[in-house]
Amino acid sequence: MIIHIDMDAFFASIEQVINPRLKGRPLIVGSRAHKMRTVVCAASYEAKALGIYSGMPSKDAFSICPNLEFVVADQAKYIWTSEKIFELLKGWGFALNYASVDEFQMDILEHPEPLKLVAQIQEQIYANFNITASVGIAKNWLLAKLASKINKPNGVTLINEANFKDILSATPLTKACGMAGKTGQILLAQGLKTCWDLYLNLPGFFAENPGKFEDIPEKSKSIGHSYTLPRAQTNPRFISAWIRVLSEMVGERLRQKNLVAKTIQLWLNIPEKGDFLAQKTFAIAANDSYEIYLRTLKIMTGMAQKRPKIRALGVTASHLSPQEYLPLLIEEKRREALVKAIDKINCRFGDNSIFPAQVILTRK
Amino acid sequence: MNQSSFNPQSRWDRFEPDKGGFNPDALDERIDVLAHFKHSRIFPKSFTWKDKEYTIETITYNWQERLGQALVNYFSVVSSGQIYQISFNNSTFRWQIDKIIQ
Repeated sequence: MIIHIDMDAFFASIEQVINPRLKGRPLIVGSRAHKMRTVVCAASYEAKALGIYSGMPSKDAFSICPNLEFVVADQAKYIWTSEKIFELLKGWGFALNYASVDEFQMDILEHPEPLKLVAQIQEQIYANFNITASVGIAKNWLLAKLASKINKPNGVTLINEANFKDILSATPLTKACGMAGKTGQILLAQGLKTCWDLYLNLPGFFAENPGKFEDIPEKSKSIGHSYTLPRAQTNPRFISAWIRVLSEMVGERLRQKNLVAKTIQLWLNIPEKGDFLAQKTFAIAANDSYEIYLRTLKIMTGMAQKRPKIRALGVTASHLSPQEYLPLLIEEKRREALVKAIDKINCRFGDNSIFPAQVILTRK
Repeated sequence: MNQSSFNPQSRWDRFEPDKGGFNPDALDERIDVLAHFKHSRIFPKSFTWKDKEYTIETITYNWQERLGQALVNYFSVVSSGQIYQISFNNSTFRWQIDKIIQ
């Protein structure tokens, strides 16, 4: 049996604990300081009740509620809290898995009293962090995740053989994992309205699935980073600087995992034209951030539009393999030593202690 | 135990500037702090900022962040109804006021 623990309005709840004045008030946590030019990262339940949701442009949220409270996201505290909750949950001794920064899955096997166990978990989370979690219990992780969304906040839902049909019939299709986007829309258009409709048409979707608790270490298929600019930009130097930033982040993560990538993908969001997505596979795999940057620029030159107005951009490395190639040429050896030295400095003094001068352009 | 499916350390704010970016209200000013260090935990009791002493009535939350090899302990504290964020860097032994929480 799997339990899925979903923290209620995680970021917003932490901010309400930090600042008790915000308790009971509609609050959004934004990813960037300019409150009218950011995206809602998290909304308190008071804000959700007004129709404000994560991913909504903050401008729209303020048009719904002009007196909305606003806090800039500070990831350090959310990550710390998430890790401490993970540590707390480990104490129960069951196989445990991170589903996301605010969701955890636990395989409680054939626990005789799952509801009692869940009550203890919710109590301990609240006692330690002053925030609440909703929990779903079911035979597999997909149903457990679905169950955790049914009775929010601070609720518990158990899906078993007896209530399986009732719960799925009462749950809109879009609440199922993976059905919030295009797939869900396609199925809705085909007349599937509830999760029960989905089960009748695709019984395998809710079939037995133990979740992600296998001992096989997961292999990364790709590593990518993306960023939404505060406003659309045409300045090629500025765009290049952001591509450099993202290439640095991708390269660093590849090196941490001792991987190299053959394929580089560039994604650009151009509000007037839509998305530009292109990738190129190179003969020699790389994990040097500068090389990734140069390869990304090469892909960008294939664009028909020369000075596009770009709102968001992303760099992804795929076709990954372990780093086995040893540099032979003196230039390659020098370059590798430089990259290692930069990684060492950033590891000792903190991320971003040393960075390419070009990145300065992104900080103005 | 498995943490491989999600890495909570993947951060989106690492390249943002402090001022004008994620932390526009940053003060980052050195302060003197009277604190208890007990059972590997830190309990700030009062701090002096710009020659004025602030008695800490409540610690509403505390958290940590690793910056390279340094561990920074953050505290949101209440003094006379105002909330402040202060922090202690265990590498430099520096206490600072990070910001006033509105």
